[in-house]
Amino acid sequence: MKRDASIALVLFALVALLPLSGEAYWMRLGTTMLMYGVLAMSWNFIGGMAGYPSFAVAAFFGLGAYAGAVAQKFGVPMGFAWVGAGLLALVFAALLGVALLRLRGHYFAIASLVVAEVLRELVNSMTGLTGGGMGLNLPIPAMASVDAQARFFFYVMLLLAAVTFTAMLITANSKLGFGLRCIQQNESAADMLGVDTTFYKVSAFMLSGVFVGVAGAVYASWVYYIEPPDVFDVLYSVKAIVMVLLGGAGSMFGPLVGAAAFLSLEELVWRNYLEVHTGVLGLMIVLLVLFLPKGLISLSQRLGRRGKLR
Amino acid sequence: MPLLYFQILANGLVLGGLYACIASGFSLVWGVQNVINILHGSFIVLGAYLAYFAHLHAGIHPFLSILIAIPVFFAIGYGLQRMMINRIIAAPVLLTLTLTFGLDLMLQNGMIMAFTADFKKLVLDPPLGTIALGEVVLPVDRLAAMALALALTAMLYLILSRSRIGRAIVAVRMDREAAALMGVNVARIYAITFGLGVMMAGASGPLLAMIFPISPLGGPAYLGKAFVICVLGGLGSVPGAMIGGLVLGVVESFGALWFGPEHAVTLSFSLLILMLLFRPHGLLGRKGYE
Amino acid sequence: MNRALLLGAALALGTAAAGAAHAQDVIRVGAPLPITGPLSPEAKKQQRGYDLWAETVNKRGGVKVGAKRMKVEIVYVDYQSNTPRAVQAAEKLITQDKVDFLFSPFGSGATKAASSVSEKYQVPTVAATASSAQVYDQGYKYLFGTFTPNDTLTEPLADIVGREAAGVRRVAILARNDLFPLAIAQEMEKSAKKRGLNVVYFEKYAIGTLDHASALSQIKSMSPHWIFATGYTNDLILLRKQMADQRIEAPVVTMIAAPAYQDWIDGTGKLSQNVTSAAWWHPAVRYKGKDVFGTTENYVKLFRAAYGALPDYAEASASAAGAMLQLAIEKAGSIDRTKVRDALSAMNEMTFWGPVKFGPNGQITSLEPPVFQIQNGKPTVIHPKAIRQGELQLGVSN
Repeated sequence: MKRDASIALVLFALVALLPLSGEAYWMRLGTTMLMYGVLAMSWNFIGGMAGYPSFAVAAFFGLGAYAGAVAQKFGVPMGFAWVGAGLLALVFAALLGVALLRLRGHYFAIASLVVAEVLRELVNSMTGLTGGGMGLNLPIPAMASVDAQARFFFYVMLLLAAVTFTAMLITANSKLGFGLRCIQQNESAADMLGVDTTFYKVSAFMLSGVFVGVAGAVYASWVYYIEPPDVFDVLYSVKAIVMVLLGGAGSMFGPLVGAAAFLSLEELVWRNYLEVHTGVLGLMIVLLVLFLPKGLISLSQRLGRRGKLR
Repeated sequence: MPLLYFQILANGLVLGGLYACIASGFSLVWGVQNVINILHGSFIVLGAYLAYFAHLHAGIHPFLSILIAIPVFFAIGYGLQRMMINRIIAAPVLLTLTLTFGLDLMLQNGMIMAFTADFKKLVLDPPLGTIALGEVVLPVDRLAAMALALALTAMLYLILSRSRIGRAIVAVRMDREAAALMGVNVARIYAITFGLGVMMAGASGPLLAMIFPISPLGGPAYLGKAFVICVLGGLGSVPGAMIGGLVLGVVESFGALWFGPEHAVTLSFSLLILMLLFRPHGLLGRKGYE
Repeated sequence: MNRALLLGAALALGTAAAGAAHAQDVIRVGAPLPITGPLSPEAKKQQRGYDLWAETVNKRGGVKVGAKRMKVEIVYVDYQSNTPRAVQAAEKLITQDKVDFLFSPFGSGATKAASSVSEKYQVPTVAATASSAQVYDQGYKYLFGTFTPNDTLTEPLADIVGREAAGVRRVAILARNDLFPLAIAQEMEKSAKKRGLNVVYFEKYAIGTLDHASALSQIKSMSPHWIFATGYTNDLILLRKQMADQRIEAPVVTMIAAPAYQDWIDGTGKLSQNVTSAAWWHPAVRYKGKDVFGTTENYVKLFRAAYGALPDYAEASASAAGAMLQLAIEKAGSIDRTKVRDALSAMNEMTFWGPVKFGPNGQITSLEPPVFQIQNGKPTVIHPKAIRQGELQLGVSN
């Protein structure tokens, strides 16, 4: 645990130096990467540790984005709006978890997937509060310069990613983490051995919701315009999963490595193959699943082991 | 007023026939292989394009295109399972789902490149028209879709219950290891099942081309319906898909009447969550494959 | 301090000195568009319109800026049909690609979203596809739009129907629950009520609806004289088809906005007969413009030569956005953003698109949108009188 923590410290310190580049483009990419990292790490709680194929990331993200935006519309200061959005996502995850985590496998996957669809339609129809299909413009933060603003949101995301990572590290090394791994291995057995599976699963689900909710609210302030089809996009869920698979499920640095690798590929493909970028993204997913189902982390371990043998 | 209810009920039933068409292959694959085939919706779209171009360039009637689609899509499905999905069939559910999702992105992108994202529509001249039962009017193309759904359901039912392959499929569904020990070639059975599922998608495409505008990005809308129908009818049950489709069609029709058409989509998804929570084995309550 | 402001300041000090310091012979206009994703067909139309403008201008030596001529370059960025990405794309175009001016992304929603960026950087922005009042009523100074408010479409429609279809009393309205389609349906409701018509049905359908049978059965049971439906090409092809499926007929059937597009006419076949619609422009209008395209005939001719098809209103609007920007630059005699903004704001010119004069909120006020009807597979203008090609035909049947 100590080793992981110190590696993480160095990693986050290095990332914190990014604003020195001074380029707006890199700032945007960096902020997006950290946000993806938060989504991937959050999914790891329920998907990686407990082995429940959740597609609820989009639901938490959209909920957080709209909670933050609507709160600010009513004059709540930005910071409080973000924290409030996180708390709302936490409560929502608890209620949802109690209801849905009785389901397993594909049933759970589908139910969690559909939650975002229902929320999207609800937000769409509550025109008075959310602007409906018109979307919602947020107040543009009053800041000295564009660069200062970009730096601000970068550091906020960095902080959020660091908090999420810390939570993941603590969880993995706690009784909760142990219980979740038992559930992943064999839930019925864990249940019989006296593990309170419902409590553990719901806790994991809440952890997977709270940081995503905050990320959604920060995202809304950062882009200062949100609309239902964007923030409830099922691709947020899919991307979180793909990033964890890419990095390596269940490992500490897998989600972060996956987020960085995925965003680099996405950006590279988008810039160079405009017409076919979704197809290339699909191809990457296919190759990943077929040839590297345990992720990039496993690749480095495999290479490392081979090195030792020599 | 009662007349309106009859018409709405009729609307719901023929819509349900269409839905059964959309969902039955998806249900088969999910039930037998525990694979969620995200590609299913896009295969329907591909079948629709097949009919559209066959009609445009060769004047082939969409009914005939169904006969072309059946072997073509069976081959596609069989090959796909053999070459790709079988490699990871034993992996956690998430992986097969992600794999077909990736393939779906590729297929959608490929269709945009090949056909552009413009909406196309197969317009028959003269159209198939409508028939009237008293004051209630029914479109012939939807009735045809219902008949096709019934025919395919009956065919699958016969294959599964009467043929050797069918019995092997059911055996694999019940216990893969045991079936393998009994000498069943599981990989081949999976490929046949997947082929049948894709075939049903491709075969319903030409019918849908007469009804809906065709777009390369239209697949997910069909897929969403298929999810709901399968959960309603019970997974892997072909008669279940038929019943799930009809129930959804009728519920959506009356839902649009009573709650307003803007809530029809929300209604069907809410129904899905409720079903999952309270009757996860479907309305028929039958577990497994029959 | 950002570079754009510095550039503006330098230019304000004197064009001669600045001209030497910033040897720039190209005017760069940024265009964030949904090149991929579900809106890609719309992006293609916008691109055709912008490209035609840029090519036409450049073929004639460029835009006259004071004493010299500057070529035009359009910088496209794809935002994947994702509105927040459109906002980012607009910001990227301004801060990184250092474009001089901006065309808005597609549609009212994305235009509104991106307008806060162009306002922040004070970049004159022309919106080619935004009509909703909410877009322009934000108090912004740098946003200009080529579409008149939505009621300018429904008012003449209601006038004509009131005048030429005496028996029309009951109106049924079915709208896609989406920004523009819903807004125009609400305007229709107002226009109808203003004339004492009885709106017997007003419902919305969700985005992505696959079946309209219930709504249509209900409409049929009320036997309306005028059915007014809004949505995009796919929705309205399906709606028209399902009307036939239930043998629904009415003296007047209006659909907005799809019938202006050839896709819709192809997709409905004979069912398109006698469906009415309105749009902000039609290739049959006749204006003698002072812009680079000159007359409407000439614009249509150039468009046909370039793409082998008739331009629709979305394509023409994109070209018009370019032409208006050009007129403003030439009038200002500079590419200084504030001066160009002021020139746009004060503009009162004739173009191939129609007379151009913006209201205080930046939305064009001078257009008279044509009403047309599909007759034998072709859009036929029935209003305004000056360009009328035919009479309103009553009766939409199957």
